[in-house]
Amino acid sequence: MDILIKLQKIDRRVIYALVIVVLMVPLLLQPKGHPKLVTPEVHHAFDVIDSVPKDKMVILSSFWGPSTESENGPQTAALMRHMLMKGIRFGIVSWDQAGSQITYNIGKSLEQELHRRYGVRYGVDWVHFGYKLQNEAALRGIGTDLPTTMEREKEGKLVSTLPVMRGIKDFHNIGAVVEITASGTLEGTMTYTTQPNGLKLLYCPTAVMSVEAYRYLDSGQVKGMLNSAVGAAQYETLIGMSNVTTQASVTTWTLSTAHIFIIVLILLGNLGYFASKKAARRQGGEASND
Amino acid sequence: MTETMAGWLAHNSTSIIIWCAALCTFAIYSVLYAENRFFRLFEHIYIGLASGYGVYITWSEILGPKWWIPMIYKGQWYWMFAAVAGSMFYFMYSNRHVWISRIIFGFFMGVTAGGMFRGFYEVYFPQIGSSMKPLAPGGHWGWGTVSAVVFYALMFSAMTYFFFSFEHKHPVVATTAKAGRWFLMIGFGAIFGATVMGRLTLLIGRLNFLINTWAPQAESDTRRIWLALVAVATWPRFLWLRVSLAVLAALLVVLLVIYFRRRQDLKQKATGTQD
Repeated sequence: MDILIKLQKIDRRVIYALVIVVLMVPLLLQPKGHPKLVTPEVHHAFDVIDSVPKDKMVILSSFWGPSTESENGPQTAALMRHMLMKGIRFGIVSWDQAGSQITYNIGKSLEQELHRRYGVRYGVDWVHFGYKLQNEAALRGIGTDLPTTMEREKEGKLVSTLPVMRGIKDFHNIGAVVEITASGTLEGTMTYTTQPNGLKLLYCPTAVMSVEAYRYLDSGQVKGMLNSAVGAAQYETLIGMSNVTTQASVTTWTLSTAHIFIIVLILLGNLGYFASKKAARRQGGEASND
Repeated sequence: MTETMAGWLAHNSTSIIIWCAALCTFAIYSVLYAENRFFRLFEHIYIGLASGYGVYITWSEILGPKWWIPMIYKGQWYWMFAAVAGSMFYFMYSNRHVWISRIIFGFFMGVTAGGMFRGFYEVYFPQIGSSMKPLAPGGHWGWGTVSAVVFYALMFSAMTYFFFSFEHKHPVVATTAKAGRWFLMIGFGAIFGATVMGRLTLLIGRLNFLINTWAPQAESDTRRIWLALVAVATWPRFLWLRVSLAVLAALLVVLLVIYFRRRQDLKQKATGTQD
């Protein structure tokens, strides 16, 4: 009983240290397995991307930076990998200044990895439109005149001269729009890009924002969703990466370990709370008897 | 010497970036132990860097190619009106001419309000439609029916909770509103759980970097640093470096002595005024 009461008074720094130790175990072990259970929203996202015809392009609308790289990075990588492997053309536009370089680096490293097997090349299979200022005109422009709106890509070349843009003009040539974001940008994309043009929209939010997105899934405004790094790990399962160690798989294992540890801490904390309440009641009873 | 330094930097750029990132991570997370100057310093560095980078990117990717170059070099003089409109915002700092800023603020408020109206139509109207779920989807009574009933129960109870036109006195209304409050709490709990997951993911990202990127780099770099130190200390070719380091160390000692003396003087003065 005394131990339980003492647990109530643990220094928060001890708890931080314990959490870090617990998190370090799977990070050191680097487990390979991906989640076996794939949620319907991830399945739907996979189906949408998988069914995009070769003559259409997928637009990755990226609004995230270094602060949420652990969540949005694996989502971006999983989607890009799928499209590069399947030969689906895609263009990524970054609405975040720092995120522009990160998404470009992710694409480049995947291109290096997959070049030998799939022959993927920048400018032919994918393009990075660079950093663009997000406003109504830019969001509308994606659907009305993509090459003019994007004008130049990350490396400074004219977008319209690239082979990847052959036959890509407006929303008729866009297979899906994916909103990868750490901010409340979904409504803007929905209002100006996808809804007026009848485009399919996929959503890749950070975990904090994911719960509120289920209403859009329910109404069909969003066709599929990758919830944080966990959603990315599930997506990787679907593209046949279940036996490969990736950032998403390691994060998922580490998260599960951390969640178990936090549940144990909550249980112990509550037991301590009730034990201390009981002890206080007993002390009060003894005092009144005296 | 400049070329040697540039070559060294280019050769070791990855290593330097990784060390800087590790140092920043340690500095920012040091706040978990206690508020400290190391954290404050890096917090300011981060804010400064982010602002500087933001200004640079805004100029190099937006203002430069879309405004300055067309206006100055391509004869599209009408872009100068954008500068006029933009500068109108700054009149908010003048008491006499604040009305000028109100014009541009009013314009953008109107544009935003219009956009919001359209957003409401595009975003929320489809949800109102999808809330009218059939009790037997596809003509089948089954799990779809259960799902629809649960949906209606939650929706009506939550809406009743937010119905403030009259007091919730009637037992049916009061119970429904109370149930609505509970359901909302469960929803907030789910959001909070997702928040914990999100925050932990960010921590995992940094730990993953420290364990699997920085630690192996640090191991190999430590070996290289020791070798370099031995070379600097013994090889006659590095005499200039030894002398420079000695001068720098002497300067640092002098600066530290001045700093601590001044600090002591200030403390003494403060005690003197208190007395």
